Amino acid sequence: MSVALIVGTPKGAAVLQSKDGRTWNEEFVLRGWPVTASARDDRGRYYAAVNSPNFGVALFASDDLRSWKQLDSAPRYRPEDRGNPEHHRLVARMDFEGKLKGGGRFVDQIWTLHPAHGALYAGVSEAGLFVTHDRGESWEPVEGFNEQPGRESWAPGFGGLGLHTILTDARNPKRMWVGISAAGFFRTDDGGKTWTRKDKDVHAFGGNCVHHVAHDPDNADVLFRQEHFGVYRSDDGGDNWRVLEDGLPVTDMSDGHRCVFGFPMVMDRGSKAVFAVPLDGDFQRFPRDGQLAVYRNTDGEHWQRLTNGLPGNCFAGVLRGAMAADQQKGIYFATTSGALYASADLGESWREIAVGLPRVLSVDAYVQ
Amino acid sequence: MSVRVQLPPLLRGLAGGERWVSAEGRSIGAVLAELGRRNPALALHFFDEQGAIRHNIAFVHEGRIVRAKDAAAHGLAAGDEIVMTNMLAGG
Repeated sequence: MSVALIVGTPKGAAVLQSKDGRTWNEEFVLRGWPVTASARDDRGRYYAAVNSPNFGVALFASDDLRSWKQLDSAPRYRPEDRGNPEHHRLVARMDFEGKLKGGGRFVDQIWTLHPAHGALYAGVSEAGLFVTHDRGESWEPVEGFNEQPGRESWAPGFGGLGLHTILTDARNPKRMWVGISAAGFFRTDDGGKTWTRKDKDVHAFGGNCVHHVAHDPDNADVLFRQEHFGVYRSDDGGDNWRVLEDGLPVTDMSDGHRCVFGFPMVMDRGSKAVFAVPLDGDFQRFPRDGQLAVYRNTDGEHWQRLTNGLPGNCFAGVLRGAMAADQQKGIYFATTSGALYASADLGESWREIAVGLPRVLSVDAYVQ
Repeated sequence: MSVRVQLPPLLRGLAGGERWVSAEGRSIGAVLAELGRRNPALALHFFDEQGAIRHNIAFVHEGRIVRAKDAAAHGLAAGDEIVMTNMLAGG
């Protein structure tokens, strides 16, 4: 079984390929472009999203992971779309010319790419959802989401108002979910025309800062959610949530709430095992006492700490997009200090397979 | 009226690896529009959603910096060379 990883960083993407899960060939592609997400469509083409504070957002495509060609189209808002002032305030660090004061709405990052039902979806910031039906030759806004009532009151997370999670139901093309920091978790049951917040009983402070959500598209309504404030499970597509932290390291949060903090949430669909990487508190954001640890949930209820092969002196974090499952028991994740780890046995043991990468923004795994 | 534009390193891969490209136009805005018509991939990087030159792009023309907000109408003469760069950040 051959596996490819696309590892997005602010300086390009590392593409690692292995035929045996032990020896990895590494190439560094798209050099100079911040790579924020990747995907493979149902016909085998790979996509990488790039952004630049100076030259904007674009997508590159490749059929062989070596040669990448930029697409002529990318998700873009309309000239008349109005932006969110709080998002503008957060991303204005590079706004040397005061452009954002004009009030427009701009795509400043593609946070996630998600293939489903023959289409490819893009989740972006300023928060919005776009879709292509022609392999990226053209992109359409999902108007029912992007223009829904209430978006003017959405509050951004620290990284801006980003739509970073897209989930779909393999058996029901009309049902899908998206997560936005910090506007919450949304579901549509009518193919994107209307959306409803699904944050009941999830601890909030201002807005619902969902960090990541995992599920099996073939059993789509069972959801595992890493929120800024805690880990939750839903068995009804997000209508109801309950805390799911037995075995996880509960920590003191800035607002006084005690819960589990972290970013990624990933599922291996074959085994239904779920993986998380808790960090100690939202005020320091590194593994407790520096011991990098992955937590696995195999029965849907309890979490088990896994550290075999992981360092005990890690004071970095793991971002929401920086963990992936290849759906063949392989789990992969990388840190903000540029170390990439792989497990071929559902997390029982880990190996460091790359070091010296820039801060890792995204990890995606593809069985070839 | 033809001028030459030096592309920033990040964008040269979209122009066949060329450092310099030629285009017709009497202003920086017109030249970028012509380059974007010939190569839509470049247009994504030149212009934002509102059709304005991306605000962190800057140009050097006859030894002077031309900022994005002034660039669209900035006049050019036949044979001119402009350097496209970006506002520098870092330290």
